[in-house]
Amino acid sequence: MQAGRYSTYALLALVLIFPLLDRNNSHVDFLVNAGAFILLALGLNIVVGFAGLLDLGYAAFFAIGSYSYAMLASPQFGIHVPFWVMLFFAASIAALFGILLGAPTLRLRGDYLAIVTLGFGEIVPQTFLNLGQWTNGPNGISSLDRPSAPGFLLGAPDWKLHLFGLNDATPYYYVTLALIALGVLLASNLQNSRLGRAWMAIREDELAARHVGINTTVTKLSAFALGASFSGLAGVVYSAKLNLVSPDEFQFSVSILVLSMLVLGGMGNIWGVIVGSFLLSFVNGFLLPQSTNLAHAVGLNLDFTNYRFFLYGAILVGMMLFRPEGLIPSRQRRAELRVALADAGVAAQEQTEYEGPPRT
Amino acid sequence: MDILLQQLVNGLSLGGIYALIALGYTMVYGIIELINFAHGDVYTLGTFFSLAVLLGLGVTGEVHGLTLVWVVLLTVVAAMLLCGVVGVLIERFAYRRLRNAPRLAPLITAIGVSFILENAMQLWRGPSPVAFPAVIPNPTLHLGGVEIAAKQILVIVLAVVMMAGLQLFIHRTRMGKAMRATAQDRDAAQLMGININTTIALTFLIGSALAGAAGFVSGVYYQSTWFFNGFEAGLKGFTAAVLGGIGNVAGAMLGGFLIGLVEAFATQFIPQGAQWTNVVVFSVLVLVLVFRPSGLLGEALPEKV
Amino acid sequence: MRLGSAVGRCAAVALVSALLVGCTSSQSSSTVVKIGVELPLSGGDAANGIPTDNGVKLAVEEANKKAPAGFSFAVDDLDDAVQGAHDPAQGAQNTKNFISDSAVLAMIGPFNSNVAKAEIPLTNDAELTQISPSNTNPGLTLGDDAKKLRTSHPDVNNYFRVCTTDDKQGAAGAQFARKLGLKKAFIVDDNETYGKGLADVFEAAFKKAGGTVLGHEHLTKNQQDFKALLTKAHSLGPDFIYYGGTTVTGGGLLRKQMADAGMASVPYVGGDGISDPDFLKQAGSMANGSYYTVAAPETSKLASAKDFVAAYKAKFKSDVGPYSANAYTAAMIEIAAIEKAIQANGNKLPARLDVLKAVAATKDFASPIGQVGFDANGDTTAPILSIYKISGGKAQFLDQLNLKT
Repeated sequence: MQAGRYSTYALLALVLIFPLLDRNNSHVDFLVNAGAFILLALGLNIVVGFAGLLDLGYAAFFAIGSYSYAMLASPQFGIHVPFWVMLFFAASIAALFGILLGAPTLRLRGDYLAIVTLGFGEIVPQTFLNLGQWTNGPNGISSLDRPSAPGFLLGAPDWKLHLFGLNDATPYYYVTLALIALGVLLASNLQNSRLGRAWMAIREDELAARHVGINTTVTKLSAFALGASFSGLAGVVYSAKLNLVSPDEFQFSVSILVLSMLVLGGMGNIWGVIVGSFLLSFVNGFLLPQSTNLAHAVGLNLDFTNYRFFLYGAILVGMMLFRPEGLIPSRQRRAELRVALADAGVAAQEQTEYEGPPRT
Repeated sequence: MDILLQQLVNGLSLGGIYALIALGYTMVYGIIELINFAHGDVYTLGTFFSLAVLLGLGVTGEVHGLTLVWVVLLTVVAAMLLCGVVGVLIERFAYRRLRNAPRLAPLITAIGVSFILENAMQLWRGPSPVAFPAVIPNPTLHLGGVEIAAKQILVIVLAVVMMAGLQLFIHRTRMGKAMRATAQDRDAAQLMGININTTIALTFLIGSALAGAAGFVSGVYYQSTWFFNGFEAGLKGFTAAVLGGIGNVAGAMLGGFLIGLVEAFATQFIPQGAQWTNVVVFSVLVLVLVFRPSGLLGEALPEKV
Repeated sequence: MRLGSAVGRCAAVALVSALLVGCTSSQSSSTVVKIGVELPLSGGDAANGIPTDNGVKLAVEEANKKAPAGFSFAVDDLDDAVQGAHDPAQGAQNTKNFISDSAVLAMIGPFNSNVAKAEIPLTNDAELTQISPSNTNPGLTLGDDAKKLRTSHPDVNNYFRVCTTDDKQGAAGAQFARKLGLKKAFIVDDNETYGKGLADVFEAAFKKAGGTVLGHEHLTKNQQDFKALLTKAHSLGPDFIYYGGTTVTGGGLLRKQMADAGMASVPYVGGDGISDPDFLKQAGSMANGSYYTVAAPETSKLASAKDFVAAYKAKFKSDVGPYSANAYTAAMIEIAAIEKAIQANGNKLPARLDVLKAVAATKDFASPIGQVGFDANGDTTAPILSIYKISGGKAQFLDQLNLKT
């Protein structure tokens, strides 16, 4: 037990000082990208993990967050809202769209809801691509505004505002870290609130929840809105660092990647989601390419990166069959999801044992 | 007027492919209420299997006469059989354990299976589109100002024939009755002595075999195939099934043709319509699910408590 | 504690990966100068990316045979394809990797223009030489768009290319179409950076050359059935169809389905996106009667290319790709510049800016693609376009245009 807590503290300390240890900018860059995906996973966790609404088109909100930044903080329209303000704006715009795109799904059952969200996941990026006058079509919007901060925070010896460097991902790293911390705080507070319990109720049995007095409309819409707002934040940081937004970054594969992160780490469990997200980013960004390099070095003509989708598929199938609660489960979810694999009678017994508010 | 008729033909033949895919979707959903995401990829697999058989037979272009008949028969039967087996295996190993799980689980699993199949096909024939032999001669008929290719007629006729065949099977045979019973109430059917596992496996067999046939037709019609075809075709096939009324076989065919027509007319009449076809089709999906989830020919099912 | 065991697992994974990273770094006694190569090496784009990468590898291998004393060259190739297609974010990350690595003195890539948009600001900031073998989008070096990409050092140009830009390719296509006597065009593009860019340039140039454009439509991604679109086009009565885009995104199937739409004898004109052998396979018998432009010289016609082609075949046991010669040339230019800078620096490792200056001063450089030089914007001073016609199931070289500015 003690070892567990100390290693956690050690890990947190490592995370905080990592950019000062590793001077290779592309590593820090990779971590910022991974961090953006952690934010996305936290947001999707609210929709899928907490409220049980299977959203297969989450990339649409990522696109909305990114394009909001691109259109309001770039030379595109000559509007230059500061980065820090855009964080709020984009989160709000994404939340609004969460409500707009979630509204049609209110009366739908689980699988139909999934398909509608999938439909939106296709409609939104295609629309951004087609409206070339506003979005530059396939060329995307480039030279996005860079955030600025007082000099002493960026290593400069003065208090004047400096722009974040192009080749220095470290400031973005700390911004992302702060956003993740904020996200974790928000998500765990929500989980243990009345709204969180309402989400749990509609996740388990929507009809019963409605009859107990829960306003399912408000509950569902708030799940969509809050979940989408996270992707607004992720979109701003990701695009600002990349300095460009392009419509082919928001394909279905992104939605599935984030869903796989959730399934791998543990739906409904905040820390599980973070671990699952980072693990998958790591496998994707390091393990697969390095394994390919290793294979090439010993003369094998294998390319592991071509097996990427195989990996996602295997994770989804394998986890659902054998460990649906994820690597780091919440007890509540494990009980719910394991009904399938147990006798009906035993399952009924498990479910009557209510253990209080779910712990992360 | 000619353009309208021509686009009608285009839409119906495009829709015929969707109809064939929708038939399989609707069957599986009707029986276990699962959207088999992998269905679109089984359809592509059908094209790949057909290609393998044709290449094995040495067919690279058009074939004529008696050779044509037995080449087509052999290929179609092989594709249907192989796809049927794949479908049964998927059900057995990926879906069966999750029959009583919350809806989320089998849906996610289905997505996973879809990805695995797509990747397998990518590794089989590479990431670029692959050419498919013409096989069937394709004379063009000129009716008035409208040009109809023989293959377009083939697709439309096949969709209708398959639908009719399926209807006959479901309504006139014992196995079909077992399927209908299982779809209506699984536990009661079991109590009546119906072997649920076999019935569901048979449903997957037939649904996937239909997808295999659709794959062969698609390969012959477009003379090209690609590992990623199944994703979109599957999605549109599902849209068609929903539009027609999920669980309703005639509805699936109707939905397929309608979606094809929607695409063709959207291309023709919307300025720069070719880039908006997907948006239109998926908007149709959303609208149908929101305003009439039971579809055109389906009945509004009460939610069982 | 559950989290602790997860932490333990993470640590284990991190350790393994660190070992992997360690295993793949090389060691040698001489100073290694690296050329960073940033291309799509997996997925659908790999068919283009890998032969291009091979061009660089061949150049480096030949350079090592006569490298300056105490130095050797190495290739550091990174893949920018994620989920099977080129990804700007991955390209940016790879570029940052090169920038952080002090042994990398110059970079080759990327293959795709939209990835370049993410990379040029970074390499401009680091003043790292970047030569692309295949980016054809004019906005990377010309006009306001180009200025916006170079905010760190606006008066330093660090980005060059050895291929002709699409503004020239589209214009050449338009001139050629007019020369064939074709007046009414229906334009289709695949709604991607390259395809739409080329089609837009073609449209403007064709109108200027006195032609009429009956319509300009964009395809939906993964589209397979073009009959409705072709019916629409046919009803407008075009003399030919111009396609901006690649075979993979629909160029081949579109051509093939023209037969079913009653346009079997209508010519088809496109750019280098349909110059690959897959087009012949996809379009089948309809491939005949197609014309296309390529922003590179025909290697079989150049005496200077013969040795390169032979050496490539010998080393890689396969045919050259359409951009292999370009990549080889780019690498040769960078290596020559590095050698010059080494000499100027008293046989010590030079600064990136010195290499950059040497590259920028390249003029009349003899290469497999002819005499290459760069203008002030980084574009090639000897833009070459080749025009081909497909007949009898084979591509036939028609003409070469030297568009010296």
